[in-house]
Amino acid sequence: MSLIVDKQTQDDLNLLGKYTPGSIFSLFNKTKTDGGEQLLQTMFLNPLTSAAAINARRDIFHYFQEKDFTFQLERADFQSTENYLAIESPKMFIVAVLNSFLKKGQSVLIRDERYGQLVAGLNSTIKVLKYAQALSVLLNDNSNTPFDQDKERLKEILDDPLLRKLIAQQTNEEFAPYQLAVYDHLLKQTLKGSLNKLLKIMYSIDVYANVGKLGKMMGYCYAEAMEKEENVLNITGLRHPALRNGVSNDLRFDHDANLLFLTGANMAGKSTLMKSLGIAIYLAHMGFPIAANQINLSVRDGLYTSINVSDNLQTGYSHFYAEVLRVKSAAEQVASGKCFVVLFDELFKGTNVKDAYDATLTVTEAFAKYKASAFIVSTHIIEVGEALKGNLSVQFAYMPTVMNGNKPTYPYKLTPGITSDRQGMIIIENEGILELLKN
Amino acid sequence: MPLITDQQTINDLNLFGRQGSNSIYEIFNSTRTHGGSIILEEMFLNPIGDFDKINQRSQIIRYFAGRAEKFPISTELLSAIESYINNTDSRSKLSEYDQSVTKRLGNFVAPDAQTTTIYRGISAILLFVREFRLFVDALDLATDHPYSSEKNNIQRILSSEEFADLPFKAEGYKPTGQEFISYDELFRFVNRDAILTLLQCLYRLDVYYSIAKVAKERKFVFPTALPGGNSFIRIDDVYHPQLQRAVPNSIVMSDEQNVVFLTGANMAGKSTFMKSLSIAIFLAHMGFPVPAAKMEFTVLDGIYTTINLPDNLGMGASHFYVEVLRAKKIASELKLGKKLFVLFDEMFRGTNVKDACEATIAFTAAFARKQGSLFVISTHIIEAGEVLKEQSGKIKFVFLPTTMEGTNPIYTYTLQSGLTADRHGMIIINNEGILDILNAGLAKSNAKDI
Repeated sequence: MSLIVDKQTQDDLNLLGKYTPGSIFSLFNKTKTDGGEQLLQTMFLNPLTSAAAINARRDIFHYFQEKDFTFQLERADFQSTENYLAIESPKMFIVAVLNSFLKKGQSVLIRDERYGQLVAGLNSTIKVLKYAQALSVLLNDNSNTPFDQDKERLKEILDDPLLRKLIAQQTNEEFAPYQLAVYDHLLKQTLKGSLNKLLKIMYSIDVYANVGKLGKMMGYCYAEAMEKEENVLNITGLRHPALRNGVSNDLRFDHDANLLFLTGANMAGKSTLMKSLGIAIYLAHMGFPIAANQINLSVRDGLYTSINVSDNLQTGYSHFYAEVLRVKSAAEQVASGKCFVVLFDELFKGTNVKDAYDATLTVTEAFAKYKASAFIVSTHIIEVGEALKGNLSVQFAYMPTVMNGNKPTYPYKLTPGITSDRQGMIIIENEGILELLKN
Repeated sequence: MPLITDQQTINDLNLFGRQGSNSIYEIFNSTRTHGGSIILEEMFLNPIGDFDKINQRSQIIRYFAGRAEKFPISTELLSAIESYINNTDSRSKLSEYDQSVTKRLGNFVAPDAQTTTIYRGISAILLFVREFRLFVDALDLATDHPYSSEKNNIQRILSSEEFADLPFKAEGYKPTGQEFISYDELFRFVNRDAILTLLQCLYRLDVYYSIAKVAKERKFVFPTALPGGNSFIRIDDVYHPQLQRAVPNSIVMSDEQNVVFLTGANMAGKSTFMKSLSIAIFLAHMGFPVPAAKMEFTVLDGIYTTINLPDNLGMGASHFYVEVLRAKKIASELKLGKKLFVLFDEMFRGTNVKDACEATIAFTAAFARKQGSLFVISTHIIEAGEVLKEQSGKIKFVFLPTTMEGTNPIYTYTLQSGLTADRHGMIIINNEGILDILNAGLAKSNAKDI
């Protein structure tokens, strides 16, 4: 089973999308192979929900990070190898030989390009195999590592005597038709299965090595995943991975204090903090390195955010109704007894103050009773905070604004308490509009 | 003096819309000529801020709306004239000298395309001049009628020496080869400007007929522009021209109550009413008929609407800033003493409820103090209205009601005066049963624990 994350949440956190600027996927996608990229995508689409699986993958990343090597093979070599292996060859060896001679003849007589392509493909394949062997040697320093299983399998495949002969070949060699047929047959018929396995392992090394390297370069940490029953979420030094100089913050949720009531002016960094947390939790469930100093969390069933809810005019939903529907689906998930992390940014902004107050208060109180889930609710209606003060499940924190003359500056550092900072009127005053309107 | 407006307003009112889509311009555009459609577009782009000019145009359109006869010239005739007159290449001029024997022979057997165009163009102009003269002579206008100057202009050209002598014998008159040569010289080179002027007059007529036709078909009314003094707009049963079953509404705005404060739930029709009103005011400042039962207005200097500010929801803060900058721009126009019609839909919705509430109060109160300009402000923040009600007597409070039928909201789309007490936020939340879901889930898990 995978972590429950819907489309809105993915969009809020800008998780996926190879070509989406600033997406978390594109941030981590430093893979050198197409297969590696696909594997990375699969990992992004299927975050894990078992503490054991998360920690196992984390250990592999960590192992590769310690190894600290650069995956050195051009994307083009892998593409060429894959293309070569995809060209079918006849099952019968004798037919393959005849076929090979035929193509050679065609290439001489009518300048047919297929023979040349086969030779080039075989050369790339040899290059890839040579690199695989180098990796196998590189990784084979000590036993009892998290990557042992794949490592052994890789070694096993490469130990095949026929394959070793091929690897010993010089690349860029003109292959004679008979020799080409022999290798063609070997790679595409005899060793087809083990060669596929070998490529898969190479792809995974590509992902592990590059993600691990990125994690090390950025100073990311790895999560310590715990069983669901532990009910902890403890992060120090949390920052947004897409920001260069992100300010770090600490957050803590547990059974006794499972809801954070967040206040602060526009642009003070509320949304960024919530997004950082959402991203960290998502990455933690993938076993990936995280932009934080330390993170301990019990695994969750799902992640639910409501940060950029847009009105859907096509379906006639107003902004308010869109928000209501969003809260409803979060309520359904939480009420089904699942452990969630839920992030609500500026709840009920599309309605009047009174309704927004009533709605935020009742909804917050109702959610706070679900001890197994963790919540952040951000709002400008500080009166809700006052009304919640007796509630022991609720922690209060705000993102401060420091006025420098009449220019607001933002330290982005989470501070305990409630703030009434609002800069809307200050912006209007700075523009001097009301002065203009005076008669 | 032109009426001041901007691109945002033009977009808000959907005056032009995207290519091929149903816009206000398209509603009025039943012109038969390309020249006419261009003039109509210019009218939309240049609304008038001048009492006399508005009245003049309105009077002209009304005059043609009241006449039975049709647009005088057929489109085929016009396209023949247009392609002929636009060819100013003197090498193509008909001439008796340089026509070689072969060319003459060739033309005798089958004339080439260019020569055909020239011959057809000349015949078309002869017919056009004849028809146009008959049409203009038949217009019975008082000497002070705004169209009479244009009429005189046309008649002066047509009765000038060059045109007066043209053969108007009968329909289907065929000029001789020699006549063709001299007319070509006359029409295309000597008197080209006069012909172009006549065509422009014809295009304008096309536009007037087009608008008159729309007014008749759709039962639009001609607004009455009132002479200066205090700002005043009274409009009865205004509706949105692009809606099939639009519900009409009436409103009066004056210096005594120069701010309309509009509240109502989402989907109650606030934006539609605001668009209908703005479109009517805009059209009135073009001298056009409007979709309403009756309209009186004093001429204003400008119109600014803010209905669909380009939303950038990814940047919540800057949407607010865009609104602030727009408010500032309008404030500086007001500072210059301009009389404006200003409309804000869901003012300051780009920020949090509390800032929006405060800003709405501050702006509305400041607007109410501005003499001479008229304002419409809509918001869902009822609290702002309650504060303003205490502060100023110059604000007219209206709302679009929502009635609950069981748990379903019903919208009448008919304006009522006052502030709405509709707070459907909690009703909607209760309808969706969010709290029930949460409580039930909790009860279940507690039961399991025991």
